[in-house]
Amino acid sequence: MDLPIIQTPLFPRYIWMEEVIYSHIPIATLITAFLVLAPFMELIGYKRRDLRWDRLARSLVFFAMILYSPGAALGTGIPIFIIGLYPEFWARWSNLFFWPLIIQFIFFTIDVIFLFFFYYLPWDRMMDRKRRHIFFGFVTAFFGLAIQAVWDALGSYTLTPGAAFPAVTEAVGWSAQAFFNPTYPFLFFHRFFGNFSYTMLLVGGVLALKYMRARVKSEKDYYGWACDVTFSFGFLSFFAMPIIGYGYAKVIQAKAPVAFHAIMGGHVSGAFTLKMVLILVFVSIAATYLFIRHKNKLPMLAAVTAGFGGLYVVLHLHPALDWLGSAVAWRTAYSLIIVGFLVYLWRMRARGRPITERRWPWLMFAAGMAAFFTFAIGGFVRERSKNPYAVYLQHEKPEAVPEERDRFLFYRVCIGCHHQNAGDLLKIRGENWRARVERERRRLGVDLTDEEAGRIIRYLEENTR
Amino acid sequence: MTPMPFMGIPPKWIIAFFGLFHTSVGSLAIGIGFIVVVAQIIGYRKRVFRYDLFAKRTQLFHVCIYNIGTINAIGLVFALSGLFPQFWVHIMNQFFWPFVIEEVLFFLLATTLTFHYFFWDKLWGHKRLHIALGILLIPFFFLQIYIINAIGGFMLTPGYQEAEATLRSGIIGYDFRALYNPSFLMLHLHRSFANVSYAGFFMAGWCGIRLYLTKIKEKKDYYEDCGRLSFNIAFAALLSLPIIGYFYSHVLKIDAPDAFWNIMLGRGDVHLGGIDTWWLKHLMVAAMLGAALGFYSRLSRSKESFSLPGFLVYGIAAFYFIFYVAMGMVMTWAFFFWTVVFAAGSLLLGRHLVSFHQGSARALFLYIGILSFCTVMLGGYVREAGRPRFVDRIAHYDDVYVPEERQQYLYLPVKPQDIPRLPAEEKEEDAAQLIQRHCSRCHGLDRLRTYARDDWDRIVRVMRIYGTRLSDREAERITAHLTAGLEY
Repeated sequence: MDLPIIQTPLFPRYIWMEEVIYSHIPIATLITAFLVLAPFMELIGYKRRDLRWDRLARSLVFFAMILYSPGAALGTGIPIFIIGLYPEFWARWSNLFFWPLIIQFIFFTIDVIFLFFFYYLPWDRMMDRKRRHIFFGFVTAFFGLAIQAVWDALGSYTLTPGAAFPAVTEAVGWSAQAFFNPTYPFLFFHRFFGNFSYTMLLVGGVLALKYMRARVKSEKDYYGWACDVTFSFGFLSFFAMPIIGYGYAKVIQAKAPVAFHAIMGGHVSGAFTLKMVLILVFVSIAATYLFIRHKNKLPMLAAVTAGFGGLYVVLHLHPALDWLGSAVAWRTAYSLIIVGFLVYLWRMRARGRPITERRWPWLMFAAGMAAFFTFAIGGFVRERSKNPYAVYLQHEKPEAVPEERDRFLFYRVCIGCHHQNAGDLLKIRGENWRARVERERRRLGVDLTDEEAGRIIRYLEENTR
Repeated sequence: MTPMPFMGIPPKWIIAFFGLFHTSVGSLAIGIGFIVVVAQIIGYRKRVFRYDLFAKRTQLFHVCIYNIGTINAIGLVFALSGLFPQFWVHIMNQFFWPFVIEEVLFFLLATTLTFHYFFWDKLWGHKRLHIALGILLIPFFFLQIYIINAIGGFMLTPGYQEAEATLRSGIIGYDFRALYNPSFLMLHLHRSFANVSYAGFFMAGWCGIRLYLTKIKEKKDYYEDCGRLSFNIAFAALLSLPIIGYFYSHVLKIDAPDAFWNIMLGRGDVHLGGIDTWWLKHLMVAAMLGAALGFYSRLSRSKESFSLPGFLVYGIAAFYFIFYVAMGMVMTWAFFFWTVVFAAGSLLLGRHLVSFHQGSARALFLYIGILSFCTVMLGGYVREAGRPRFVDRIAHYDDVYVPEERQQYLYLPVKPQDIPRLPAEEKEEDAAQLIQRHCSRCHGLDRLRTYARDDWDRIVRVMRIYGTRLSDREAERITAHLTAGLEY
């Protein structure tokens, strides 16, 4: 379509695109998680005749209502920015997924009608028809998840397509191969549990602060209970993440190796490492909290211990990192850390001070914030690792800038054969890259055109000064 | 890009569905913002709680429909992307920055609206602050539709200079002249007042329904009073619409003659199912005016709240009678005749409905609420249907946002290779021919000899301001020719 590219002020286009998307996704995921959990909480309250659950469920829905309009408004900004900044990509992508987008619109309409007119507004009026009200809550939750399911399919396609982009003259509308692409189930479940985990840890942290500030006893009791329920649930949900995440990474490695290289040692590895550090922060705080607060609930503590066992298995399956010089040193280190941390937790169960101290609300809040940023950085890593922020190897965005194209060409051609990662190659200084690339391209099996060789040389020279 | 088939339904009807659905909700949301603020201010100034309660309930309704409207807008974007991909990416590319500003306003609106409703009780002790928060909604809404109307106006009347400029400079994300196109102002004024009118009549209609359903006296009083408040606001806004509408159609006649004649003669989709939608809409407006005047004339003798004095009611009736006489002179006497018949019939019906319900306006509220909804739908439909089609042929408006070599690939539900080639370009006129054609339209060519040769740049600019339709290139060539003292 050869439309001119609109230049954005201050930052490159992809930064603007990322910021617009990041403004929407935390709100959308909060709303989805709240609306899925609320009817379950309401149901528990109804079964146990405990109004605290009802209050908590209603608070979540109320908060979702407050966020709904700004979140939807920000959501409309995403197509506006994509269409303006990446017009051809959008036109072809929305051509391929026309029917899912229309169905998503229908889901969205049903969701908002149920949320407003059948769930939130008649809450008081339906107190004597609780079962029906809870049913409406589940309908709302179902359509909320259905929306997420559609978007995850469309989003995962841009990482691991499964089917080619349509030609300009081809009206497609729907492709099962594209929709059910290789990483779709992993992305969906990773987000599903991730939403529960980060939102509930965050809510638990905020409620802990409310607990600290509450002066009326009944309010203090409620907030104490509510922050414990949400924080504990958020932490327990977390343990699904490393297992799903490991499978997710394996599929990316197989189906989108260039993106995998970008994350593992490539240009987004710094963000990925920061994400791991943040996970360590909230896991340490939350596990300690659970072992002190619920010292008498042995099944829960056993579940957490099993969760750490699962984490250990994942680390064991993962190739050893060379951070400590050798694979043996690395495996010894994480084995000692996990076992040592479990010993510490069980000792805290026996000797830890009660959770009434003033520092605990702040620590829980810090854990909640760490969980939030873990989530945000996770999304950033996934998006930034994509081959020119588009469909991997099938179709480069016509609007991609040269440096983006060169970077991914470098990953594709060089990293596959070298046993080093992208980061290690870029650490090399003083290398004559022209001579090196000319030498390397003569190797058997290296299929590199002069134009590609020139681009790789340019990229290396510009990034290893 | 090839358009998407949609289950055998013509794409234009899919877009019409999304567009009208969005208009019905979006216009309501914008108008309701104004109604809420007025009700809240009156409640605060008069210390009457029922108006505040009405404002709060209306704002809750507002929050609900706002989200439905937003989701529908996203559906419209997806439908346009799939069904008219090239059109949509082109217009988004051309108006990228206005759309971005629109998006920022949208977010500010959503946030302000949310805070205004959900913190109503918490801000009870800070009523002025709360009202100020509500007042913020009005400029936000105004600016939001300001941008959308500019883009909508551009699609109908891109104008001459604007089209030229866009073709030359390419698509740049923002085009001042395209945004401020000829019909923009009229469309904006018409929509702004129409939204308030529609929302006011809608809320009055809702009060009418509640009046039918409730048996409690206090509630009846509440709905009657609040319905009248909404009705009055709506009626005040309605009065401006025929006059703005006249000027709007005048602009269309000059800058979008195809659309104008489609509307006036009921050509194409304007004539739908055997009915001329534009005329039907106007008869409905006349019926609304008549019924409202019947209501006010019935009330003018009483001291009830929101009644108008008799001289004002009859003054308004006389003014609009004269206005429609003038319209009859400009258009056809049939238009005048049927307008008066519908207005008079509706006036009698309005008076009867109020008398039948012992002074309650419940039936009248409902009647005008329905008419108002139909009018807004028909008005939006007529404007879109009047525009030369996207799908049936290459409209001359299309070349505004598409370079000529790509025009043939646009809007047509056929494959590009099946589209017949464009006729060869006509040879460019020489400067002397341009002078003969443009200058002699208003005055003789002898007059050209009375000006100094070095003054032609200024004179040509002045002539363009007077209305001579010249492109920049043509103006340059004419100026150069005359400055050089060549023959014409």
